Amino acid sequence: MIRIKTSALLLSCTFSLAPSLLVGQVLRPGEYPRGEKPSPMMSYFVTSETMGDGGNLGGLAGADAHCQQLATAVGAGNRTWHAYLSTQARPGQPAVNARDRIGTGPWYNFKGEMIAQDLAHLHGDTMELAHQGNNLNKLTGLTEKGQIVPGLYDYSDPRDNDWNYAKTTRFSTRHEMLTGTRTDGTAFPDSVDYTCNNWTSNKSPAPGTPNGNLNAAEGKPNAQIGFPDRNGGGSGSWNSAHGTRGCAQTDLPKTHGIGLFYCFATN
Amino acid sequence: MTKRQTPFVILSTLMLAPSFLLAQNYNTQGVTPPPGSPVSPARMTFFVTSAGIGKGGDLGGLAGADAHCQKLAAAVGAGGHTWHAYLSTQARPGQPAVNARDRIGTGPWFNYSYAQLGPPQNAFISADLGDLHGDTLVQAQRGNNLFKQSARNEHGEVIHGPGDTPPIQHEILTGSNWDGRAYTDNSDHTCNNWTSSSEGSARVGHSDRIGNGSSWNSSNDTNSCTQSALESKGGAGLFYCFAIN
Repeated sequence: MIRIKTSALLLSCTFSLAPSLLVGQVLRPGEYPRGEKPSPMMSYFVTSETMGDGGNLGGLAGADAHCQQLATAVGAGNRTWHAYLSTQARPGQPAVNARDRIGTGPWYNFKGEMIAQDLAHLHGDTMELAHQGNNLNKLTGLTEKGQIVPGLYDYSDPRDNDWNYAKTTRFSTRHEMLTGTRTDGTAFPDSVDYTCNNWTSNKSPAPGTPNGNLNAAEGKPNAQIGFPDRNGGGSGSWNSAHGTRGCAQTDLPKTHGIGLFYCFATN
Repeated sequence: MTKRQTPFVILSTLMLAPSFLLAQNYNTQGVTPPPGSPVSPARMTFFVTSAGIGKGGDLGGLAGADAHCQKLAAAVGAGGHTWHAYLSTQARPGQPAVNARDRIGTGPWFNYSYAQLGPPQNAFISADLGDLHGDTLVQAQRGNNLFKQSARNEHGEVIHGPGDTPPIQHEILTGSNWDGRAYTDNSDHTCNNWTSSSEGSARVGHSDRIGNGSSWNSSNDTNSCTQSALESKGGAGLFYCFAIN
């Protein structure tokens, strides 16, 4: 009897410890993992730093250079990195689709975990794939430094909405990734702004114009965003959940973004 | 009162103890709900059960599961609605299949935080059946609004998943395919139509969209239908409840 009890106790200890050990490996969102380097397989990350000028990323070229620079800083500069961003058509200039800029996959995160096998898996090109979803979630959507991106209620600080506070910390909600993209990874039609004027604008809506709702509208500077943690308003979409209040750096934190974006290696 | 609280305190201490021993332990679920928030669960039309029935995949059939939803809802003042469990059953001789999506009314559905967390986008689960299940490709790619912070139990608490303190309970019984309908193959996906606590298997989804893709209602099958098997894989026999009115 005692023997049985002991083994049962041991067993239950083992069971209760196992999940705790898993939890022990989970970092506080925003925290850097200690002494860990990115997997040599890393071909996907969320930018750990914003460029700091709202929706003005210096166009696609500027955003790509930011990806490359961050990757290089952690020893992953041997790959060619592109930002997951679309641009809208302009006279004499065709639209660019984010999905056409990122190679063919598979893509792996900081830990070497697969985010998606190919473009169809990443975007859910068929009903089956779309329902299954890709492998991007709060625990896999890591920065190039291995950080979990702080999301809803991680810190619940009212100052999260204030850029003057958000710029001083790694620990404020910042899970809105600029994409300028539709769910299938393609650019929006050019009638209204979904891309902060093709990633060159840091403007706020003109005084007196409505900026409360998060949809693109005539005359409103706006960027479509998605959530790496699938955990936000509008829908859980990783690449196309809703828009922003405006394109100024100070407007992005109002809805829990700071101007971060996804980077993918094309090779 | 003190007497009732004591076991809870002991339980909490037991659950917290291993966490304190570990460096870097952290909850990703945050504050739920914000302290001092007004409570109005009567407006809620969706929740995840705060507890399972405790007998693995044996829920007493659909009727037993519905009664569990109704009981939990009534306990928090939301018994004014008619509640149904989001579960399918498979066809048997002389007994047609039942699709989970046909049992839950037409929406829209709101979670506990409808009256709690302010902006409606935090509380809105889905507008209708098509949006909930992703009936069109764009809807399916976009996903519904059921995600970790919105898929709360009837007390407004987030369901713990990978990254949170144990017990992890994010595997939610559905017995359903992605489209919310019953499986038509010969394998068991419903713990024998929610009557088995031993052999069989149940289709589950993840309330936090983490694991084997990101499906809320159909991500993988359980190994068995025992309560311990469910618990060993990050489940607890929880299920989704929807108000049909």
